[in-house]
Amino acid sequence: MNRRELLLGGASAMSFAAAAGFAGAVQAQAAREVVIGVIYPMSGASAQVGIDARHAFETALDIVNNDHALDLIGARGAGLSALGGAKLRLVFADHQADPQKGRAEAERLITQEKVSAIIGCYQSSVSATVSAVTERYGVPFLCADSSSPSLQRRGMKFFFRPAAQDEMFSAAMFDFFDAQKAKGKKIDTVALFFEDTIFGVDSSNVQRKLATERGYKIAADVKYRTNSPSLTAEVQQLKSADPDVLMPSSYTTDAMLLVKTTAELGYKPKNLVAQASGFSEQVTYDAVGDKLRGAITRASFSLDLAAKRPFITTVNDMFKARSTRDFNDNSSRQFMGLLLLAEAINRAGTTDGAKVRDALAATDIPGTSTIMPWARVRYGADGQNPDASPVLLQYVDGKFVTIFPTDVAIAGAIWPMNG
Amino acid sequence: MTAQALAQVLASGLLMGLIYALIAVGLSLIFGLMDVVNFAHGEFLMTAMYVAFGLVFLTSLDPVLLMPIVVAVLFGVGAVVYLGVVRFAMRAKANQGMVQIFATFGLATLLQGAAQYFLTPDYRSIGNSWLGGKTLELGGVFLPLPQIFGGLVSIAAFGGLYLLMSRTDFGKALEATREDQGAVALVGIDRNRVFTLGWGLGAALVGLAGAVLAIFYYIHPQVGATFGLIAYVTVALGGFGSVFGALVAGIIVGFVEALTAAILPPAMKSLGIYMLYLGVVFVRPSGLFGKL
Amino acid sequence: MTADALSPPRTAGMLPQRRKQLLTAAFVFAAVAASPFIVRDVYLQNVLILTLLYAAVSQSWNILGGYCGQISLGHALYFGIGAYATSVLFVSYGIVPWGGMLVGGVLSAAVALLLGYPCFRLKGHYFSIATIVIAEIGLLLIHNWDFVGGALGIQWPFGSDSWWTLQFARDKVPYVHLALGLLAVTWFVTFLIEGSRWGYWWRAVKDNPEAAESLGVEIFHSKMAAAAVSAFFTAVGGSFYASFLAYIDPESVMSFRFSLLFALPAVLGGIGTLWGPFVGAAILIPLTEITRSYLGGSGSGIDLIIYGGLIMVVSLAKPEGILSLFQRKPKREVRS
Repeated sequence: MNRRELLLGGASAMSFAAAAGFAGAVQAQAAREVVIGVIYPMSGASAQVGIDARHAFETALDIVNNDHALDLIGARGAGLSALGGAKLRLVFADHQADPQKGRAEAERLITQEKVSAIIGCYQSSVSATVSAVTERYGVPFLCADSSSPSLQRRGMKFFFRPAAQDEMFSAAMFDFFDAQKAKGKKIDTVALFFEDTIFGVDSSNVQRKLATERGYKIAADVKYRTNSPSLTAEVQQLKSADPDVLMPSSYTTDAMLLVKTTAELGYKPKNLVAQASGFSEQVTYDAVGDKLRGAITRASFSLDLAAKRPFITTVNDMFKARSTRDFNDNSSRQFMGLLLLAEAINRAGTTDGAKVRDALAATDIPGTSTIMPWARVRYGADGQNPDASPVLLQYVDGKFVTIFPTDVAIAGAIWPMNG
Repeated sequence: MTAQALAQVLASGLLMGLIYALIAVGLSLIFGLMDVVNFAHGEFLMTAMYVAFGLVFLTSLDPVLLMPIVVAVLFGVGAVVYLGVVRFAMRAKANQGMVQIFATFGLATLLQGAAQYFLTPDYRSIGNSWLGGKTLELGGVFLPLPQIFGGLVSIAAFGGLYLLMSRTDFGKALEATREDQGAVALVGIDRNRVFTLGWGLGAALVGLAGAVLAIFYYIHPQVGATFGLIAYVTVALGGFGSVFGALVAGIIVGFVEALTAAILPPAMKSLGIYMLYLGVVFVRPSGLFGKL
Repeated sequence: MTADALSPPRTAGMLPQRRKQLLTAAFVFAAVAASPFIVRDVYLQNVLILTLLYAAVSQSWNILGGYCGQISLGHALYFGIGAYATSVLFVSYGIVPWGGMLVGGVLSAAVALLLGYPCFRLKGHYFSIATIVIAEIGLLLIHNWDFVGGALGIQWPFGSDSWWTLQFARDKVPYVHLALGLLAVTWFVTFLIEGSRWGYWWRAVKDNPEAAESLGVEIFHSKMAAAAVSAFFTAVGGSFYASFLAYIDPESVMSFRFSLLFALPAVLGGIGTLWGPFVGAAILIPLTEITRSYLGGSGSGIDLIIYGGLIMVVSLAKPEGILSLFQRKPKREVRS
């Protein structure tokens, strides 16, 4: 290495120093603000999820920071009253579905942006590393929409999940099957169809266990590679098995391809009960909705509830004005997650991590003050809300209708779906 | 597996294989002409699909009618990429191979970012084609019309390409340039012009594949990655630079993928293609029909 | 290959130029070692760790890709083997990561030797695509192998801070020093190779392909050994990454983008040079991390445009690598 190379080494060192200065400038922030970090996939294959999430969080921000005459938590009054009307501010970060990047962003948001809490992260693998960081820094992590059951089993104190996880979702599906069976409908066999990601594998593991326990025969058990160019061979297996219920756990691209391929191969599933994800995205129904008549998906949310709680229409319209689509399974959980976080910070009356954590742990909110069909919001020792009752929705005449559980159902299920 | 199921697997494999071949042939053509592997090939495919989508959105015509325009646009894209990027990569005196790989890889990333920036990462699909959703049943074997159409387009494209290479002056100039780049300058062929047209042609072919694929596949900024690796493996399996090799390899890849998915757990269906590639090149280091 | 293959040719001795290289390295690495005590920001320390890690792994890649000219785009396989060996041994058998590092490294080197025989017969793009395909096969197998967690991956248990288990909850400084140590070792190994018979042979072959004929068999064996060394240190990098992240799944340690990320710093900085991977990583990694952090949150894809554009422009404008900007004369002229 000669003198010029040494100069270059100096230049690289300087670029670190410059970045440090930049980071310092970012830290200067206005007073009377509560900063929340939001970590989502903003580029890569799931980027649309992140962008929809951004709209959902900005809608929630509007609800908290401005005065709205709605019977929804956080709506009345502008800002956080117990913190002198402090406004919420969101800092968005991109994790590109990479656990390493998610973790780095969590550390940056905590140390540079001084966030009071973090909310995220869609992919369960990223939520796993982000929640490990928040735990170590004593900052609350609100897991809005990752549904892997393993997340809550690590004895973490700062982890909170108001929505249901896959075990609860899948249990609801099998409760529904049992109920249908009691009504004399024929359900003997199920087929699992899932992608080779943490989401797909976790979901299928629970479904496989429940099916065995409750005496349903697994006619086909198909794991497929996500983002495949074709699913012909996979669908062929489902067609030969011809189960009473097809249970897919797929992200959007594969959900669309699955539905298209079933039609191309002349296979009409008798019934389809999906683990949401791709089957709760509007784009799927825009593309292949005509082939999904009568399809059932689990959900955390249903627009039907607006009949009982008119404010749901108001906030849905606010969201739609930003994103041009209705709330779905994901965006509703993201929206509600931020409101619940803001409510707890306000109740704590401080942004101190440990106190906000205690306030979150003491949360006890009736479902009627939320937009969700949940009975209550109240976290267990593991941070999971056990009362986040999931619903099953059926796609009928171009919209979703709640069909289960019966106390919130609007209509009975059309079973089999094509009949 | 019943005979009917086997017939279905083979038929689906053949149709998919013809489309793989059509995606791959442009890559092989460009390589044969000037030893350049275009790592943005998948993104060319993505661009073509978005062009098809955009044209359908603007004109509401059937995407089948708009295919010539997609092909023409991609011809332009290919020529511009050669003139703006690859020409400079070929001037590099050191590490030419790496420069080409990373210049085109940088271009691929840039195109993905640009697609997300201008078109959002949302999934798009074309719903108005006459072919869309129709399927043909022959004795229990189902053949979707869009894929049959894609297969026919692919065969026609290979036929046309054969005629172009063997019967036209342009084809002869291409052939001469790939044989001996130095000598063609002496007989008055402008090397740069041939390369520009060659890149245009290579991109036009993947444009055709994209226009076909857009009828039955969804479109988003990452879609190139789904087909990219298969295209590289297909080209290398057939032998870099061999047009005929790309056709044969594409069909083989389609068959092998479909058969593997029927035998192994479907999540591992690419394993068959990968093992086949390794098996072939370990025996024949330049692929099935490669000259190098 | 004889035992003295790694020692410098007798005629060369220790040139003053090489002594200067060592002194420079000692100075640069000492400065980096001190830097986390000045730059206290955790995020920037994280960027520094990644920079050093990618510099080290890229240096390992450089031994095979740069010096031997075997362009591997499948080094994610070795990285993954290191990460998985370490995680499985630690989480399932309680063997500390230092042991896993060694096991993963040796395993990777063995795999590299096994693959070397058939693969080195392949030329140019056939070789590169074979390496991609082999790494993809590895990824598929890990994805479908429940013993190593399959798609669910492996979560490391929370533990107290310890150099023994390489777990540090909030403190990043130990990781900076670990990554720096790895970089220093790979740098030094490359330094030794550059001055050894192997280095002379490879340069001779590059400059004069006919020379390859006369050295044929020895060259082949030296390349095999280079592949093993390269795979070993790439695996150690993967092992470090697993203990640093404390959670791995197939896509987060073995996807194709890692293979590119290992080649890229060497290519941008200067392929087949001692300092190329370090310079390339020092520019590439902070730039990608910082554009993502401060521009990526918008979801507009602008960070990808900058990243892709930069790679394209640098590789076109400086095919010999950024390092060449700072050299008065090409090294080859000095030597000949």
